[in-house]
Amino acid sequence: MTDNPVVLRARGIDKSYGGVHALADADLEIRAGEVHCLAGANGSGKSTLIKILSGVEAPDRGEIEIAGTVTSKLSVVGSISHGIQVIYQDLSLFPNLTVAENVAMTTRVAGRARIISITAARELTLTVMKRLELDIDPDALLEELSVAQRQLVAICRAIANDVRVLFMDEPTTALTWNEVGTLFQVVSALKADGVAIVFVSHKTEEVFALSDRITVLRNGKVVAVGGVAEFDRDSLVEALIGRQELEERIVSSDVHDSPVLEVNSISAPGLFAEISFTAHAGEIIGLTGLMGSGRSEVADAIFGIIPFTSGRVAVDGHDIRSGDVASAISAGIAYVPSDRLTQGIFLDQAISRNLVASSISSLANKLGWLRPKAIRAGVDKLIDELSLKVGSPDDPVSSLSGGNQQRVVIGKWLATNPRVLVLNGPTVGVDIGSKAAILQILREKAAQGITVLLISDDVPELVSVCHRVLVVRRGRLVDEIASQNVTVEAVRERSIA
Amino acid sequence: MSSASTVAPSFLARVRRTLDAAGHTGNLGLLLAGVIIVFSLLNPSIFASPLNLQSIAYAVPEIALLALAIAVTMSSGGIDLSIVATANLSALGAASVSIALMAGGVPGDAAAATGIAVALTVGVGCGLINGLLVAKLRIAPILATLATMTLFSGFAVAVTRGTPLYGLPDAILALGVQTVAIIPVSFWLLILAVVVIWAVMNRTGLGLRIILVGASPEAADYTGIRRSRVLLSTYALSGAIAALAGILMSARSASATAEYGSSYLLLAITIAVLGGTNPLGGRAPIVGVGVAAIVLQAISSGFNGLHISPYIYQILQGLILVVVLVVEVRRGRLTKWITRMMSRPPADGAALAASTGAATPLKEQPTPKPLTQGSHEHD
Repeated sequence: MTDNPVVLRARGIDKSYGGVHALADADLEIRAGEVHCLAGANGSGKSTLIKILSGVEAPDRGEIEIAGTVTSKLSVVGSISHGIQVIYQDLSLFPNLTVAENVAMTTRVAGRARIISITAARELTLTVMKRLELDIDPDALLEELSVAQRQLVAICRAIANDVRVLFMDEPTTALTWNEVGTLFQVVSALKADGVAIVFVSHKTEEVFALSDRITVLRNGKVVAVGGVAEFDRDSLVEALIGRQELEERIVSSDVHDSPVLEVNSISAPGLFAEISFTAHAGEIIGLTGLMGSGRSEVADAIFGIIPFTSGRVAVDGHDIRSGDVASAISAGIAYVPSDRLTQGIFLDQAISRNLVASSISSLANKLGWLRPKAIRAGVDKLIDELSLKVGSPDDPVSSLSGGNQQRVVIGKWLATNPRVLVLNGPTVGVDIGSKAAILQILREKAAQGITVLLISDDVPELVSVCHRVLVVRRGRLVDEIASQNVTVEAVRERSIA
Repeated sequence: MSSASTVAPSFLARVRRTLDAAGHTGNLGLLLAGVIIVFSLLNPSIFASPLNLQSIAYAVPEIALLALAIAVTMSSGGIDLSIVATANLSALGAASVSIALMAGGVPGDAAAATGIAVALTVGVGCGLINGLLVAKLRIAPILATLATMTLFSGFAVAVTRGTPLYGLPDAILALGVQTVAIIPVSFWLLILAVVVIWAVMNRTGLGLRIILVGASPEAADYTGIRRSRVLLSTYALSGAIAALAGILMSARSASATAEYGSSYLLLAITIAVLGGTNPLGGRAPIVGVGVAAIVLQAISSGFNGLHISPYIYQILQGLILVVVLVVEVRRGRLTKWITRMMSRPPADGAALAASTGAATPLKEQPTPKPLTQGSHEHD
């Protein structure tokens, strides 16, 4: 592998935004046919480096060597013509077009074709899919596909563009275990064809399963580079965050006997059926399963976003009306949704407004006038409690890192003094430091008697905080892993079985 | 040249700093001052005369109120195109009821008060119809209110057969002609309305909810904000403000008609956007909208005094709307870009300096081979 020719090399790249030094003297070397992991916490500079190598941003200093030529900056078109392709997290596909149209679109546009032949597009798509041994209907509309299939379509599109270096920004974030398996197969096929794959990941296990070489960025600097064999889990984590990650299982034995959240045989046709469980005060329950298993929908239904057609949900014995968010909230349910950016936060609004958004009624007097002192005090208390790093509470929440934004969403709900806190994938796309902080908040809240329902497919996370783990498969609750059996191996085995 | 070029940037920089500190409403204040100065210089005897300034002050309130109604609905992410029709229908309601009451021997003041109450009821009613269409039936606001605009004005024409109603009670007419401390009563009413609407949008739970719904309807749903209830209130508020504008319109023209102010809709939108309202929702700069109304009325009056064709004013008005929208879009892009750039946790910059000296597990120093080409200069 180390003998393979270098296809892309960046040397001494410097980039500043305002006063922030995003990249400092960063080097990166990509060889043909290797899987190269670009690892780093949020804000470490990986995205900036990818933008520079794909021509989206120009570096302040440094040089890029590609296919034997050296340049101080690339243009987007230049990088594409050199075979560099980037699959961003949002995939940048057209949901209203078919798979074939999506795959063929950029090659056709880049080739300045004014007339697009559907037959040619379909042929191109079938050729590419055959090469990757994939089977997706080229005539299906993209919006009808699962996230995993869309991602494969994005890869097909990159290949149709004659890719030589493929960047993938956190490709597995939205995927389940077996979907990740398919992705890994595709990656191996590409690798065999000599394509270099650079992928960004937060998940250490994935990094070891997939990569040949690893470059670790921290605070804009390359802090470690080497073959995968030169790293172990501890040294990688240390390189990523500069200190040891705490992921031991810390669960209190302080669970009360009193049931708080009772979910009694709820069903929603096509989504889930006969889900029953009871959660107690101070208990953290994990709810896991593959994507599409219905775990997210169960959470949505408990909060009233999705109506359930039969069964009942009750908090402290009070029934919640099906499909009624307000009734769920007044019963004391709080919900941190899965899509932080569109469902969780008001991106352009002030941090303070985001923090009070769910508790407006309690901050206004009887005539509806807001009480500024109460608001200020509440906001300050939450910022302190969540150890949020903010310049001013009046700054837009978009100025915060992903982990801090997620803490704002949690804080918004803590302000309502909830009885039950339901979180759907709260640490997805969050750096390791923030993740640990968020899990610690859950432990503290449980210790104060709040019932926590954590929906996640991050097994170490579930093991780290949950008293019990429930497994959903094909819309049904199929397994319950009791406290003494909660281990990484057990949860993984029983959730994918 | 050299001395000028060393002075100019620092002066410009100082101006820019002042502008940044004052914010958008401050900029509008400067724009207003500029407009007044320019027209006063071009037409000193007429524009700056107390009479002309007073006539501007008479004309501003009705259009400013209509723009505020637009601003309120825009901040919720919608728009209310039916405001002028609502205003006219409200004014007709006020006129017909108060005229009928006076004919029946009710004293003028009581008739006027009843008329105003009727106007506000009609306005809120029209707003609730819009609100039902937008909030409950989920029709796009621009289409729903375009339809109700035709509905309300068609209804007004049908009821009056297109003829204006005259003979309003004196108490209503007084709103259009009387002054207190040189300033027209209607302008005092506008100031009061701006204060009240500002307070509603910035100091009440409803205002905060309107802005949050405008900022992100989906996040509002997941936050437990009852979106349809909030939108219903938003359009009812818009209808009430339009009704107030309708009363002032009828007071100033001493009549109520179905077809008053046909050119006001686009003007009100222009003022709302120039005032700093984000057409996509999430921002409600009420004071800015008030100032923007004065700016556009001053320009209109200045053009009049210089005998510039009203068509030129119309072109200018359209141009202002386009320019402000373009700036808005570009600024949106810019602010997004800036926030994305600044979204790195500030600790990174500090940690960067600290970590350079810290021990890091460097498994293998990246040692790129010398490149084929020599040194590079970068700027």
